[in-house]
Amino acid sequence: MPGYDTILSRDSYILFFELRLFWLVTLLYGVSLIVHIFHIVSLNTSCGRTAHRVLSLAALLHIGLIILRTFEAGRAPFQTLYESLSWFACSVALTYLYASSDWKDINLPGFFVSALSLGASLYALLSRSPAIEPPSPPLQSYWFEWHAALAFFSYAVFAVSSAIEASCLIAAAMLRKSGDRTYGISPGLMEGLRQRAYRLAAFGFPLLTFAIFSGTAWADDAWGMYWSWDPKETWSLITWTVFTIYLHSRSIPALKGLPASVFNIIGFVCMMMTFLGVNWLAKLLGIPSLHIYAV
Amino acid sequence: MPSFLENIKTLRDTPGLGSVGARLYGTFSSLYTSIYLLGVTAFFYAVGTIIAQGVTMDEYLKAGGKYVFLVRAFSLLDIFSSPLFLIAALFLFLNLAVCVYDRFTPALLASASPRQDFTPAFSIGLTQNLPEAEAEARRVLREDLGFRYAQSESGPEEERWVVMEKGRLPYRLITWLYHLGIIVCLIGFLLTYLFAYEDIVTLQPGKHKTVTPSTDGRIQSLWRRKPPESKFSLLLEEFTSEYSHSPRLDYPRDKLGRLAVGLGWMKPVYEIRETSYFPKGWKSRLKVIKDNRTTVEKTIRVNDPLKYGGYTFYQSGYEQTIKVRVDGSPIPLEAKAASPLIVPGLDAPLEFSGIKTGTLFRLDGTIEKITPVTFVRQASEATEGKRKDDDGVRLPVGSTVVIDGRMITFADFTEATVLSYRFDPGFPLIWWSGIFVLAMMCLRFYGRWYLLAFKTGEADGITFIDIHVSANGLLADRERLVKGFMRGLTRNDIRPLELPRL
Repeated sequence: MPGYDTILSRDSYILFFELRLFWLVTLLYGVSLIVHIFHIVSLNTSCGRTAHRVLSLAALLHIGLIILRTFEAGRAPFQTLYESLSWFACSVALTYLYASSDWKDINLPGFFVSALSLGASLYALLSRSPAIEPPSPPLQSYWFEWHAALAFFSYAVFAVSSAIEASCLIAAAMLRKSGDRTYGISPGLMEGLRQRAYRLAAFGFPLLTFAIFSGTAWADDAWGMYWSWDPKETWSLITWTVFTIYLHSRSIPALKGLPASVFNIIGFVCMMMTFLGVNWLAKLLGIPSLHIYAV
Repeated sequence: MPSFLENIKTLRDTPGLGSVGARLYGTFSSLYTSIYLLGVTAFFYAVGTIIAQGVTMDEYLKAGGKYVFLVRAFSLLDIFSSPLFLIAALFLFLNLAVCVYDRFTPALLASASPRQDFTPAFSIGLTQNLPEAEAEARRVLREDLGFRYAQSESGPEEERWVVMEKGRLPYRLITWLYHLGIIVCLIGFLLTYLFAYEDIVTLQPGKHKTVTPSTDGRIQSLWRRKPPESKFSLLLEEFTSEYSHSPRLDYPRDKLGRLAVGLGWMKPVYEIRETSYFPKGWKSRLKVIKDNRTTVEKTIRVNDPLKYGGYTFYQSGYEQTIKVRVDGSPIPLEAKAASPLIVPGLDAPLEFSGIKTGTLFRLDGTIEKITPVTFVRQASEATEGKRKDDDGVRLPVGSTVVIDGRMITFADFTEATVLSYRFDPGFPLIWWSGIFVLAMMCLRFYGRWYLLAFKTGEADGITFIDIHVSANGLLADRERLVKGFMRGLTRNDIRPLELPRL
């Protein structure tokens, strides 16, 4: 086994490399966002395509970053908030790239996705510590990887679903003013896009359900209480409830259009509260939370 | 004889109590009601995260809480036990139960209600004659694509749709089943709310202790003061701690510094101090003693509790008692970690940090036993509540330090384990129904189910086939199915004369 100095030097160098790679990925997300903004302002299709390509490159590099972090830490890379934010940013981008793979020149949702990925990455780099620490005793559970991976992946899926719904709302508003097509979204394509958003939410819903279920099982093993109305637990339940409302409203003709889209976007807001907002809320209001350790 | 639903509809239009009941039934079986009630419960959940739960009114006021009248009137400090929330939860439960009952029909077991009113999605011409075309279509669907008949065929042959389906279980049944599973989960939550209770027990090494809860479940407290003492006792054989020797990261705190790292102008550096101990685990080796014999032996740790006698025992924490001799006195003083110890003759009380003892896992892979060590300092107002673990003078067990002319010797210490325990009859129900709900939900959302109805006919000497396809589930792909059907038909020399219009 190498000595302490060798180990510390090696780990420091790997972290240094990882951080520079993460900054490069973040820069690419930023470039993608800027080009998306040009696309929105100018309605230029080639801008949209370029933005999409830059986002794809960023996502590809981000996969490499996640793999590096996994080997560096020797465990799944979502223990700290820094790692969770990185995983979330990557998952959002990848989910969007998959969902949009058969679209032709529809890039408006990419604006929201690149903004989310950029925001999450910047927050991780500027405000969270990238230190790799051994897992504390409560985190040493076989539930941990499943719970964290599926929870953050479901957040990413819901984020893309909401991005599509928001894009449909914007396009619908613009089409009402004038024109038969905006940002590649025609009235005929609108329902297909909403259906895609619905399918994404339907895909993410069992993942979130499993994340909540595995969280309760883990809490029972670790803390002796499967549900304690902890703020993070409660906000995940709020997110689940709002998406339940969304899925049910999609089967009621009178609610299937605009109301369902609004429910989806409210669900996204609740999801962001669950992921990040609850940490701030708990600190701001002085409410204790067992999940604050992950901040 | 009219069905129950037909009776409900008749009752609804009849004045009197029956119509009220029928209207209530109609309201509670409506999806709109579900949406409203889900929204209301979500609102309650949100309020419960804004106002601290489980605190007393005094604590709330001390923390600067406002709108006291509202908080008191609506029991906002314990909102999830408040009457308003319980009523909303009851309505949600009733809504779910009525919906599940309302939507249960024998037709659930069939994939779709028997019907013949399909609209063809597309029509294609075939080169074969009518009987051969129909037989071939049936064969392709059954043998090549794995479809089965969804309903029996009736009616005139020339107007008859052949209805076939594919999928492990009818999707409506799966949807119904997981809603039923959610009802069972809610019953589990109710059992927890009514019957669960918990407490803690502290075990000293080598001493038996029975379990004597000081709290009780809501229902049980109606007829008893507290739960009976357990018929078994717990014995702690050994409590051990494990630590990792973990480096700390020297990393800029400011944003510009972090940007400098990203640009390669600064480097993060891992450093290690001798006292960089990170908790790895705490283990309690327990024995359950009943009728003077050991029935169970288990080493518990966080995430690995002990279940016995209806209780589940969790590793919650530990207590350390430090024994200190002053100036060599034969009778040691006892102190708890981080609690002040008043020593006669000293200006300020002494504070001892938690004792680091147990096993240390070093970064280079070596493992060593930690010599028990504490850090001692004199407490003052300036340092109150701001203590770090290694603040003060290092004091290994058996060694002495002089403070203000007094010899302080760390003579010995004891460690007790603190276990929390819980009685909860609701959890097993929630566990198994939760697994059921998840399984059904995954089947419903991720599976694929198809209904394909076709009707053959002849017009102007050309045999044609009308096809209707519906699909459910995220993995269902209508286009792929239709292409597969076309491929199967053309394989045996049935050439479609038109392309399908979907």
